[in-house]
Amino acid sequence: MSTPAPLRAAVVGAGRMGMVHGHLLQIHPETELVAFVDRDTGLAAHLASQGLRAELYPSLEAAYAETAPDALFVCTPTHTHLPVVREALVRPVHLFVEKPVATTLADAEAILDLATRAGVMHSAGYVYGHLPVVAAARELLAAGVLGEVLRFTAHAYVSEVFGEKRGWFFQKELAGGGVVANMASHLLFILGWFFGPIRRVVASTRSHASAVEDSAQVLLTFTSGVTGLLDTSWSVPGTQMLDYGLTVDGRRGTLVLGRDRILLHLLAAAGGYEAGWNEIHASALPADAAFDVSPHIGGEAFYRQLTTFVRACRTRTQPFSSLTEALNTQRMIDGIYASAASGQPVDAP
Amino acid sequence: MNLVLELRPPESRFYGSWRERLETVARLRRPDEVHALCEQAYALGVRTVLAVLDDTIREALIAFQRWRDVAVWAVLPNMFAFIRDLTDLGMVGAARSRFLRLTPAAMARTTLGALGALGAIRRRDFVAGALLVADMEMAALRGLRVTRLLLHPQLTEIALAGGLPTLFTELATRAARQGIEAGIVTHNPVRGAAVLGADLARFPAVIAPCNPLGYKMFPDREACEALFRSDPGRFFADEVTAGGSVVVGKALAHVEALGLGGAVLDVRAVEAAYREGRLDGGTASRAV
Repeated sequence: MSTPAPLRAAVVGAGRMGMVHGHLLQIHPETELVAFVDRDTGLAAHLASQGLRAELYPSLEAAYAETAPDALFVCTPTHTHLPVVREALVRPVHLFVEKPVATTLADAEAILDLATRAGVMHSAGYVYGHLPVVAAARELLAAGVLGEVLRFTAHAYVSEVFGEKRGWFFQKELAGGGVVANMASHLLFILGWFFGPIRRVVASTRSHASAVEDSAQVLLTFTSGVTGLLDTSWSVPGTQMLDYGLTVDGRRGTLVLGRDRILLHLLAAAGGYEAGWNEIHASALPADAAFDVSPHIGGEAFYRQLTTFVRACRTRTQPFSSLTEALNTQRMIDGIYASAASGQPVDAP
Repeated sequence: MNLVLELRPPESRFYGSWRERLETVARLRRPDEVHALCEQAYALGVRTVLAVLDDTIREALIAFQRWRDVAVWAVLPNMFAFIRDLTDLGMVGAARSRFLRLTPAAMARTTLGALGALGAIRRRDFVAGALLVADMEMAALRGLRVTRLLLHPQLTEIALAGGLPTLFTELATRAARQGIEAGIVTHNPVRGAAVLGADLARFPAVIAPCNPLGYKMFPDREACEALFRSDPGRFFADEVTAGGSVVVGKALAHVEALGLGGAVLDVRAVEAAYREGRLDGGTASRAV
């Protein structure tokens, strides 16, 4: 059987995430990095000095004319995602959009609409969903090991904001929000993937250091009937990387999801697991990543995320991390801000 | 076997629970607690400390080296602190804050060294920038006897992905100038060997995951072990307990069977082994 030609991809935005994706596209055996696009062409030497060999173009038009990519990775600041996608889809390229997908629900809907009408494959950059333990937890829940899922509690903390911060990342109109949109959205994506479409949100947010919200407490209700609490802050001391956790209670037991393991407590044996405590550690799960680009942040999930996207493009099947799933995340983000502003519960549209 | 204790700011580790995180961070924020941990490791036969350095760890290691003849392998720069400073202060501000921590003599040395790389720094050259930050952090390690220099994995993996042997060979040259050696710490040793080729011989210690479960061994256990077997003394095993899934005794036996140069033990493994009074015991090191 012949090896399929590599997926030829361009990266828009030569910032930190653009460079991470550029490196992965260059090293993954099923992809080829063909172009960078950034208005700041002065970054060409910086990219080259990192070993990123693709040429830097000042516009999508110029990159398309020279390289004709199959796929585009949108890694620009969040408020530019919609105009970039609109311009990108003048030709049918598969789309990978970094998270959060947009600064508003309306923009996220417009992005999904454009991608759907173009008939392309698409994915959002909620990378933690690609960690093996997260996928394993989802499989356990889907297999009904806990029986009917009733409730959950979740947290997402990081030590990042303890005083005034500058830059686009801390301006709501440019970044879409603060800790909810930019950190907790990883966990919101996982919750949506596990429990389905969001139905109702009740939230309280607080800004105590930066101009955006620095912490939030959220009550989420999904159409599946699952309800739960999320507590998040990027102003908690003690953790330089995103520390998240999720505890899910069902009629037959409890699942605790951490960074590298699942603890499963069952009232009776189910799904091949014994009654009582069971542990599923990442070391016991299939390892299918060939490179770890960021051992401390995201780890092999970045490589797996790219593999998922490439396979989706090849098979013409939308991945679990599609923009459709990410729209559910955006509905949660939007609902959290609306509820926090009004002090009222907000039903998802 | 050469046993190595791995130290890094406790905030930069993963924990089994938020409570475990808070307790461990509170404890290991104290230099005397870090020093006590070093003593536990020493009692178990550890004679080398691999450290991402912050003020607490530096202070503890200076005190430890006063009493004990131990080697310190410094992992530079403290990447998380640097990224935080980049966000808060920008590139110039982050460099400036590191520069201001130096003694006048170190300031003069760093300035002289940077003069030759001024053009590259202005162009935001990755290798020049990484080495400048590493130089400044190295110059700030006054009082500590460092025997090997290693780059932080967040820099190493990017440089390996980009195929940049220069970053590593330049580091080796700088280390040699100071009469010490350079090493490599990576999750991607097979890629490292491909990128460095014959220059891999300039690095007497290459630290990479090695455990019987293949955990964190990229691209896979088979390829990593084939590389290790080609020159076992050069490689030091990291992630030996596979995140606490393998008991310390069995983990070390696996490393020994491969004939590697040594094994790196994390805080949990050392504390678990110390509680048992031996390294070949059977207690799992993962907290529940």
